[in-house]
Amino acid sequence: MARVELKNATKQYGNGQAPAVSSADLVIDEGDFVVLLGPSGCGKSTTLRMIAGLEALTSGELWFDDRLVNGDPPDRRNVGMVFQNYALYPHMTVEQNLSFGLKAARTPKAEVRQRVAEIAHLLGLDTYLGRRPKELSGGQRQRVALGRALMRRPAVFLMDEPLSNLDANLREQMRIELARLHGQLGITTVYVTHDQNEALTLADRVVVMESGKIRQCGSPAEVYGQPADTFVAGFIGSPGMNLWTAGWDDDGKSVWLGGRAVCLPRSYLPVLEDLGPSITVGIRPEHLGLFRTGADVEVVCQVEVLEQLGSHTQLHAEVELAGEDRARLVARLDAAFAVHSGEKLVLTAPSGAVHLFDAESGRRVDVDQRSLAGALVR
Amino acid sequence: MDTQLDAAAARFPGRLRADAASGCRLHRLLLHPAAYLLYISFFHWGILSSATRFVGLANFRTLFAQPLFLHSLVTSAYYTAVMIPATVLLSLGIALLLKEGLSKRRGAIWRGAVFLPHVTPVVATAIIWVWIFNPQFGLANFVLTSVHLPALGWLGSVNWALPAVMIDSLWHSLGLYVIIFLAGLASVPRDLIEVARLDGAPRHHIFRRIIWPLLSPTTFLVVLLATVNTWQAFSQIFAMTGGPHGGAGGPAYATTTDAVLIYQTAFIYFNFSLAAAMSTILFGIIMTLSLIQKWISDRVVFYR
Repeated sequence: MARVELKNATKQYGNGQAPAVSSADLVIDEGDFVVLLGPSGCGKSTTLRMIAGLEALTSGELWFDDRLVNGDPPDRRNVGMVFQNYALYPHMTVEQNLSFGLKAARTPKAEVRQRVAEIAHLLGLDTYLGRRPKELSGGQRQRVALGRALMRRPAVFLMDEPLSNLDANLREQMRIELARLHGQLGITTVYVTHDQNEALTLADRVVVMESGKIRQCGSPAEVYGQPADTFVAGFIGSPGMNLWTAGWDDDGKSVWLGGRAVCLPRSYLPVLEDLGPSITVGIRPEHLGLFRTGADVEVVCQVEVLEQLGSHTQLHAEVELAGEDRARLVARLDAAFAVHSGEKLVLTAPSGAVHLFDAESGRRVDVDQRSLAGALVR
Repeated sequence: MDTQLDAAAARFPGRLRADAASGCRLHRLLLHPAAYLLYISFFHWGILSSATRFVGLANFRTLFAQPLFLHSLVTSAYYTAVMIPATVLLSLGIALLLKEGLSKRRGAIWRGAVFLPHVTPVVATAIIWVWIFNPQFGLANFVLTSVHLPALGWLGSVNWALPAVMIDSLWHSLGLYVIIFLAGLASVPRDLIEVARLDGAPRHHIFRRIIWPLLSPTTFLVVLLATVNTWQAFSQIFAMTGGPHGGAGGPAYATTTDAVLIYQTAFIYFNFSLAAAMSTILFGIIMTLSLIQKWISDRVVFYR
């Protein structure tokens, strides 16, 4: 196991091109399961490949424990990597695939055999050792890829979207298996995915990336509950957080956002005064409801589309913000509620579900919920 | 004839009918000349049809009694035996260099440069090579003497005429095989190489255990094409050593391969039946070699 640290790491492929990864600072503690999460092209795979040694850093530093590994070739870093398409040697059997690395390192045959047996047993591959990859199912191939990466007892385990080629059921099974494996072996793991379910269920810490930059690094609960900016708020959650940017005014009883579209309790007033005339308010779809008791935030909207999803109904609606384009709203409602498209509704949410962001920078503004009477933490 | 073919094709149901008709036409186009050649080889075939008569295996017996024919087979075999490994090794080596050793832009320029000889006319470039191999003024001897090696007689020498032709043939044909190998190398997934690098496999190990096995279908294709092409080699030999009158491949028949002898027998001596018998034997040799290669490939070549 190793501690991995990226210090101001940048990767730029060509002069004049935008960097694929820009000034990334990240500490991955020994034994941590860290997930790099973001949309396609955000630089998460490049970051992983830099850690693996398959891409050189343009600038910055990469440390494994107290060793600077910038110039070390991949094999000197003692990392195991699982690729998206498994990257199994198609002309070799499972046993040959597993043993390839150790044989290349001229490990004694008896040790190779013992290690193959251990890994095959760990991953339930004992009966497939004589088969070639094309004779295996997707899940079995994935396990062989995992096994091969584990053969050399890597200090860091790297996975590049390892489940994306599997169907939904198998993906879920493999996810549980990966979590079990990490619990059992405790190897420092860096996992790349664009699937937030995978990220939130597997990770000790989630690193959300966008356009080559790290937007937030925190526990799954943190990135979901306290998104660092509007990008993270919109990206995490399915569907993402509702975000409305508009001016506000105070009518003496409540604070209104965007004319008479979103009503906040008057206790927000000192916070909003501190933030300026325009703010971004966010509420997660699952926190919006109809006639919720104890709710003190109201959103006026007009229903557009209803999606019946069995366990719940997903409501798509329009929010009329004064002087702004009509904003969109998504809410996850109880399946029992009968609402119809075209209907005008007042949705409610508890004030603790409201997230505030600086309208200009998009950065989160932390509000002390216990005493909303003016406590503002930037 | 077409009516007969269509009638035969009509026996097939539905969509197969069109395919069967095309198949019959293809069959007539490809196999008919070969079958006719075989037919001629059992006759004494004169230019005038009145002189034609069935002779059975007499043409083949005559051939195997001729030292020149046996010599031509040995020369063809020698030519092929040297050309095929040289073709595979050099084209693969150049392909690897072009893929690994050069930047994208330089790679494109060099790929073009390597392929260029293949699209030049064989006879025209053969004349240039005749000059290169000129014992007195040629570039080949200039290079040899400048590194203190003895000058050679090249096309005038019994021992060096065929190697000289081989050099020209390699120069002319390598471009095609380099491109085929480059396509093969491009189809080897990058991930596999990266995994092997992570595993700490040295470069030669990666080549031997991963690239080479995955390249086996490409290598098989190159060997197959090179075998057929070298056994049928004619233009370079004729242009470089054919001489002004006989086209026999000299000196002292040093470059007389089977294909050259067929030409000489058919179009210099007008002995079509003997030439047909030679062609039949050449066809048999190439077919046998191809089948052996196929048999080997079924055991060695890995198809993904």
